[in-house]
Amino acid sequence: MIQRLRKTHRLIFIALAVLLPLLFIAALAVRKPMPVNQPFPPQLLRTK
Amino acid sequence: MSLRYRAISWNPQKRRYDAVMAASSGLYLALFVGVSAFTNPNATIETLLIRAFGTAALLLLHVILLIGPLCRLQPRFLPLLYNRRHLGVTTFVMGLAHGGFALFQFHALGDTNPLVSLLISNRRFDSLANFPFQPLGFIALVILFLMAATSHDFWLKQLSPVMWKRLHMLVYAAYALLIAHVALGVLQAETNPLLAGVLAAGMIVVLTVHLLAAQREHAMDKQPFETGFVAVCALGEIPEKRARVISLNGERIAVFKHDGKLSALSNVCQHQNGPLGEGRIVDGCVTCPWHGYQYLPETGVSPPPFKERVATYRVKLIDGVVYVNPEPVGQDGILSYTPSV
Ligand code: HEM
Ligand code: FES
Repeated sequence: MIQRLRKTHRLIFIALAVLLPLLFIAALAVRKPMPVNQPFPPQLLRTK
Repeated sequence: MSLRYRAISWNPQKRRYDAVMAASSGLYLALFVGVSAFTNPNATIETLLIRAFGTAALLLLHVILLIGPLCRLQPRFLPLLYNRRHLGVTTFVMGLAHGGFALFQFHALGDTNPLVSLLISNRRFDSLANFPFQPLGFIALVILFLMAATSHDFWLKQLSPVMWKRLHMLVYAAYALLIAHVALGVLQAETNPLLAGVLAAGMIVVLTVHLLAAQREHAMDKQPFETGFVAVCALGEIPEKRARVISLNGERIAVFKHDGKLSALSNVCQHQNGPLGEGRIVDGCVTCPWHGYQYLPETGVSPPPFKERVATYRVKLIDGVVYVNPEPVGQDGILSYTPSV
């Protein structure tokens, strides 16, 4: 039983070592820049 | 294995372990909230708590995942393993606090049940950037709950060691889900490279240490099938009251030297598969380095009243070379020799 567990553990980590970095890089690649507020046009500013 | 429930009792070492864990968790949470309140004065206290508990839980999960393989690679880390169960329960509690606050902050103020809202409010499964990352955290939290709830030895007995071990291997799924939870969640908006850097570093360390340990074990398992007595090492290579671990036909065997005797036992502790050969002979018993279960080296049986038993193997000593027969035997895996002084 213990040898099977060792084998399963090894296979899980080989899979994770491929999939997790891929997911991480893909997640960073699809990031969109946060929308930034444009400065308020001065002509619309009305000071009485 | 005995049906008797065998408690690992409270002792000063365990209390010290818990005190250090509670103090460092408290310090981390206080520092995180304090520093973030200062650097990010617009954030609400709920947001700060969500972040403090979430990062603390993920950090603790990294520690838990590292303890096992680090102990395999370097026995100096063994004291950390002794009470890993409490680390697991603490991780779940921190994750629950994080999830609870998040549920309250983002899902409790509408007219839908917060749990239903958590699961259905975002259905953008087709988009990585907008992926519903919160249900991933929820599934991970359910796994952490199952593990915390069954971590007691009572459940190890009820579920059988095989089922218990399988259930507890789900921790790797929880880890993957949480990496996705953070990478597809907060990392999409958080442009400060600190969080991405720390997450990537943690991931590289966890993956590398596990792969290294697994590779080492794999190399040991790859030996050809043997019958009859096999030469395993020189007598001098086994330190007194300690063992040398060998792998024969896929089974790990610990060959102990003690008081002029040699005995070979299965390396696998009946409690949670701890490596007996990395333990010592204490009070005449092979003592597991993980939680201290004991076995008589002569018979592989736990001293009364306990009833655990591990397999024993026949040993021979010829010209200072130790030979072991990979076929397990009943009670006679012991060999006496005259120790040279
Ligand atoms: C019901 C379960 C969960 C829910 C609803 C949930 C929700 C969230 C939300 C909404 C965020 C983004 C918060 C923000 O913008 O700052 C987040 C981030 C995060 N979550 Fe979770 N989460 C859950 C479970 C977990 C668990 C179990 C862990 C770890 C063991 C975890 C670790 C994290 C981490 C490290 C972050 C990034 C730091 C932060 O922003 O808080 N989450 N989660
Ligand atoms: S694994 Fe717990 S005592 Fe051996």
